[in-house]
Amino acid sequence: MQSMLTKFESKSSRAKGIAFHPKRPWILVSLHTSTIQLWDYRMGTLIDRFEEHDGPVRGVDFHRTQPLFVSGGDDYKIKVWSYQTRRCLFTLNGHLDYVRTVFFHHELPWILSSSDDQTIRIWNWQNRSLICTMTGHNHYTMCAQFHPKEDLVVSASLDQSVRVWDISGLRKKHSAPTSMTFEDQMARANNNQADMFGNTDAVVKFVLEGHDRGVNWVSFHPTLPLIISAGDDRNVKLWRMSETKAWEVDTCRGHFQNSSACLFHPHQDLILSVGEDKTIRVWDLNKRTSVQSFKRENDRFWVIAAHPEINLFAAGHDNGVMVFKLERERPAYAVYQNQIFFINKEKHVRSYDFNTNTESPSILSLKKLGSPWVPPRTLSYNPAERAILVTSPTDGGTYELINLPKDASGAVEPTDTRRGTGNAAVFVARNRFAVFNVSTQTIDIKDLSNSTTKSIKTPTTVNDVYFGGTGCLLLCSPTVVILYDIQQKKTIAELAVAGVKYVVWSNDGLHAALLSKHNVTIVTKALEQVSSLHETIRIKSATWDDAGVLLYSTLNHIKYTLLNGDNGIIRTLDETVYLTKVKGRNVYCLDRQAKPKVLNIDPTEYRFKMALVKRNYDEMLQIIKNSNLVGQSIISYLQKKGYPEIALQFVQDPQTRFELAIECGNLEVAVEMAKELDRPKLWGRLGAEALSQGNHQVVEMTYQKLRSFDKLSFLYLVTGDKDKLNRMAKIAQHRSDYTAMFQNAIYLGDVETRIQMFKEIDLYPLAYVTAKAHGLTEECESILEASGLTEDQIKLPTIGAPITPARTIVPTYQKNWPLRVASQSFYEKALLGQVESMTLEDQPADSGPSNLGFEDEVDESKKFNGNLMDVDTEEDGGGWDMGDEDLGLEEHGDEFVNVESETAGVGMSEAELWARNSPIAADHVAAGSFETAMQLLNRQVGAVNFKPLKPRFLEIYQASKTYLPASAGLSPLVNYVRRTVDETDPRKILPVIPRDLESIRTVELQKGFSAMKANNLEEGVEIFRNVLHTLILTTVQSKSEVEEAKKIIQTATEYIIAMSIELERRGLANDDSQVKRNLELASYFTKPTLELPHRQIALMSAMKLAYQKKNHVLAAHFASRILANNSQGKGADNARKIKAASERSGSDAVEIEYDQFAEFDICAASFTPIYSGQPFVKDPFTGAKYHPKFKGELCRVSQVTEIGAPASGLRLMAQ
Amino acid sequence: MDPFSSEGELLTIHNAFHSGLYSTVIDTDTSALSPANVIAARVYVFRARIALGQASDVIAELEGENDVPDLAAVTAFAEYTEGEKVAAVTAIEGLVESASDNATVQVLGATVLQREGRSDEALAVLAKHQGSLEAVALAVQIRLSQNRLDLAIKEVSTAKRWAQDSLLVNLAESWVGLRVGGEKYQQAYYVYEELAQAPGSSTARTLVGQAVAELHLGRIEEAEVALQQALQKTPADPDALANMLVLETISGKEDAGGMEALRKADPAHPLLVDLDEKSSLFDRAAAKYTVKVGA
Repeated sequence: MQSMLTKFESKSSRAKGIAFHPKRPWILVSLHTSTIQLWDYRMGTLIDRFEEHDGPVRGVDFHRTQPLFVSGGDDYKIKVWSYQTRRCLFTLNGHLDYVRTVFFHHELPWILSSSDDQTIRIWNWQNRSLICTMTGHNHYTMCAQFHPKEDLVVSASLDQSVRVWDISGLRKKHSAPTSMTFEDQMARANNNQADMFGNTDAVVKFVLEGHDRGVNWVSFHPTLPLIISAGDDRNVKLWRMSETKAWEVDTCRGHFQNSSACLFHPHQDLILSVGEDKTIRVWDLNKRTSVQSFKRENDRFWVIAAHPEINLFAAGHDNGVMVFKLERERPAYAVYQNQIFFINKEKHVRSYDFNTNTESPSILSLKKLGSPWVPPRTLSYNPAERAILVTSPTDGGTYELINLPKDASGAVEPTDTRRGTGNAAVFVARNRFAVFNVSTQTIDIKDLSNSTTKSIKTPTTVNDVYFGGTGCLLLCSPTVVILYDIQQKKTIAELAVAGVKYVVWSNDGLHAALLSKHNVTIVTKALEQVSSLHETIRIKSATWDDAGVLLYSTLNHIKYTLLNGDNGIIRTLDETVYLTKVKGRNVYCLDRQAKPKVLNIDPTEYRFKMALVKRNYDEMLQIIKNSNLVGQSIISYLQKKGYPEIALQFVQDPQTRFELAIECGNLEVAVEMAKELDRPKLWGRLGAEALSQGNHQVVEMTYQKLRSFDKLSFLYLVTGDKDKLNRMAKIAQHRSDYTAMFQNAIYLGDVETRIQMFKEIDLYPLAYVTAKAHGLTEECESILEASGLTEDQIKLPTIGAPITPARTIVPTYQKNWPLRVASQSFYEKALLGQVESMTLEDQPADSGPSNLGFEDEVDESKKFNGNLMDVDTEEDGGGWDMGDEDLGLEEHGDEFVNVESETAGVGMSEAELWARNSPIAADHVAAGSFETAMQLLNRQVGAVNFKPLKPRFLEIYQASKTYLPASAGLSPLVNYVRRTVDETDPRKILPVIPRDLESIRTVELQKGFSAMKANNLEEGVEIFRNVLHTLILTTVQSKSEVEEAKKIIQTATEYIIAMSIELERRGLANDDSQVKRNLELASYFTKPTLELPHRQIALMSAMKLAYQKKNHVLAAHFASRILANNSQGKGADNARKIKAASERSGSDAVEIEYDQFAEFDICAASFTPIYSGQPFVKDPFTGAKYHPKFKGELCRVSQVTEIGAPASGLRLMAQ
Repeated sequence: MDPFSSEGELLTIHNAFHSGLYSTVIDTDTSALSPANVIAARVYVFRARIALGQASDVIAELEGENDVPDLAAVTAFAEYTEGEKVAAVTAIEGLVESASDNATVQVLGATVLQREGRSDEALAVLAKHQGSLEAVALAVQIRLSQNRLDLAIKEVSTAKRWAQDSLLVNLAESWVGLRVGGEKYQQAYYVYEELAQAPGSSTARTLVGQAVAELHLGRIEEAEVALQQALQKTPADPDALANMLVLETISGKEDAGGMEALRKADPAHPLLVDLDEKSSLFDRAAAKYTVKVGA
């Protein structure tokens, strides 16, 4: 049986009964030796043994929800156990012979038992009573089971019959009395046919006869009205029932010994049976044909059980139990960029898009691949050909190469497939794949037509092959992994990793994770080991985060590991899943039903660790600031990794904070915490740390706190703090601590005090010697006198020169003397906001010399910049006719298409095609056809002065070609970069043009606004002019973009005019004779259409100037306009004040040419008004207006175009 | 057996040469080769050395061996690269006459003729090849530089019939693909990526190829990465520098010294020559317009 997968095996005596725990990975096994074992089949450990039965135990069952199980044995007893307290709770006595099977009811507190005493009994385990005895079989009843939903029981007996019992009467009797009406009772009494003992609780509904020998086992189908039974006639019989009758459907013949048990597959149309012929057999429910069979050498099978939820089975035999699966549940899948291709349970190929989180409809049906009950094993995807390689274990391994249809149009059968035999098949290149054959140990390299181009003999015995990077394979043998170069047919590298089952490449292809059953080994693409880790629980799958973190799943967890081997748990799993992709907080996976799922995770921990490893402090800081990354694990991790200063940022607990602060030498925090905790031990440690840092002020404080007077005195001595030393002496006196007094006196060189002290404590000889040593003869005398001693009585040592106290050379006490660098770490600085780059707020713009109060507007202007393009355009540009060109450029004729296929001669370069294909000047520039580009610009917008456009010309031209090194010795091949990447029609291809509208809008325009904001007007004019020069040579995709470009040109024009006016005004601002012009220009500055905050700046400046120059009416006018725009903030208050003050005065000192009520534009050359109705000329490109006398001159704004030149309008769009 | 077939002993050196792994070519042990292949292997070694700028050494070394047409062609090619163009071209012309069926003569002869601008003659020489992929590749390149995409496609599809899995055919197909565009960009990318990412053939040359394909696909960031890798491998690779310049221009970045670096690495690089030409063209063209300067 090729695909039965054994998950667990136990060795014991004969196993007669088996039960799966519905939730936990446990299995109960009752043995012929009276023992009941409880195994964890996932870990393979024996959890418990229950031994109270006397003789073989034949039946066991777990309760679905309660921590209970039931057992029945040859001691006629039924026992109910608690696996929590590990004790038998009670015993149900009543059967008169061996108990064969016991089962709990799925919802009622009932136990069903069958016994060799020919009865079937139902027990209530809550009140521990027998509630029903079903008699009728006239031989041993071997098995009895409840129906999973209805009130039915089915039983099997050695009397060769299977019986179906109706127990609805019993249910009614034992449900709450209110639910039974009088009519019910009557009906029951009259209609139910009583058995021969007058028992109506359980009545025989059907008797199924067909087996020729005794029947050993019987069970219901979980959903259909079907029954399966197994008997000593070696047959497995399928029965069907309706409301009124039941009949035999078919027989599955194949066992050549007694068949001991059978059941329906919980999810698939399969029957499983076991027998004494040592086989487990799988049958097709619909065809009743054998699908698979599995034979054990020596052990007869006695029982089989199915897990209620998971796809697991257990069979008991002479020497224990085996837990197995019928098929691999790992779906075949392949991830490519943002897509996964997988095969679902219906054997349909589907894809799932990680960007849009959508699953495609079925793309292909692989129904015919392999055999019907065997799912495909692997899938390999080739994006270049959009083809898949699928392998199936059927027939010793087969593979198929299938092209995916262009769009998913449903589960169509593939039309064009190529197949062959092989155990593994993977794409190794765009047009090559490798097929590995285990039995012959060969790897065939095949091309897409499935013909072998190369055949490789494996260097050692290999189990599986995986993609090993371009042109390479990873060969997995039981003990090593080999990186094998297909081209050169040689082993590049070898790494001893045992039992590698899967290989997962990182997204950048630089690393791979080798997954074994219990190990994850990360290697580089050259197969050098990076790290390795061990898991006790089976590892199922893995996927890489873009940052290079490996996430892997075990049976019940998602975990991560960094390249350096640091790992941790991310979350627990309810069910086993196969990870396919990580994106942000989402983990994409396939579950065992091969359905795509998205799980949420918190990536903070591993991202943080990753940032730490990569020393990406900015990101760490972000995480520290924005997330609540707490918990002991991260702190101890940081401590272990030598980052106590970072850990410090997370901790609140003062004790831990103190420890961390000491560890990283952060005295400030340590002092703070020590104060809070105030424990002598902490002060001691703080003192030691402070001392080692040379921070004697903290040391002093700790000594004071600890009342270590002697240490304090010594500290004062070494730091030369004489005052404090004196104070210490006084304190010592105060405390009458003579030792301390003596010590301080020595430190201070204070002989008198010492003598005095000796005298006080009656140590006259010492006092005498001291006095003598310091040559204080008088004192000597007085001592002798006072003590009544003579000099002879005092033994004098040889006295040298008296010691003098050390002089203070450096007043260390005044300042700390740092011994060790305890600088603040980056994080601390950053967290304190000292690192400038970390502050997110803009520095306020420098206000200009005239101090217009620009900085007040900064925030507002920022707010408006983003919305610039949403503002509606009012003016309809005149020169923007998008109509046809009359340059005849479109007339490219058809001769190109039919380029005659001569063998000689030179063709037309792609650049020439571009120029043919486009009426846009920029495209001609890219094509290198500068003359025609200039012609176009001249006709479209009247361009005459091209000099300022030279950088733009060369920029576009430079972006148009790439240089591909080709044959050695020749110059590189020139290729032409297109913006029409998907286009191959030579009549439609067009060149790439650098710096598109988007970049102009988001980068250069904003630069211009900042220049305005920062009052860098000269620079601003340059920037805006540059915007114009870029836009004059650009291309766009859509009508709306054309509008946008127009709008930007207009904006840039307005700003250039406004800035130029203000610059001109500044030129004469200090000239008192020009007051009138000064005021006029200030007023005109308010005229161009600027963004609101910038307009306010202009108004503000004009208002101030007008007020200064006592043009009160004018000032009031500007003030009103300011207030109309914005009536709040400092600027508005100011305006209000000026308005009030001006209105009081109500007159203008200087009369200027500015009529606030008239409609007018500003001439961009003379900066004088052009009143509405007056004649003017326009610049064809910028739309700037001029007095007619400027016609024919160079536009002041663009400096490229000619004022009033005839023009057809700028073309930016090809069609 | 074809010495360049997948089983042949010249495959490694051939692939290394065309991937730009010149030092590998030079270090290849040619002593173990069968006598029939020794000359061919030596030609590769010499050409690799010429490519690394050791042309004069090669000339010196080959003194007296010029009776073998292969080596004579190498000498002439070396002389040509050294700047002795007239003598070299005469030598080549002679060889092309006398040994027109020699593959080395064909390839090197055509290379020299093409560089002389005599494309049609070069193609005529190459047309005589008998199963030389290098000749095919060269012909494809010459066709492409003549902008005869149709003929280049023809060359490639003919060659594909008899040598599908060869490196050179794949490369030539990519060259053509980069002119055709559309889906072919992606296919060209695959070829170069395969080479550039395989440990045995990752060179500045192949990386530049990958980057160029990515550039044409509009994947600017990826292309930048590939070019950076190329520049890591060979810091002053002129083509990598040139394409980096192009890339920076496309992405709207300011030139950060790339132009300077390129001028230093290869002052005669087509990009520089071309730009200078266009710069003066601009000035000439702009001068045709008169500007009336306002008062």
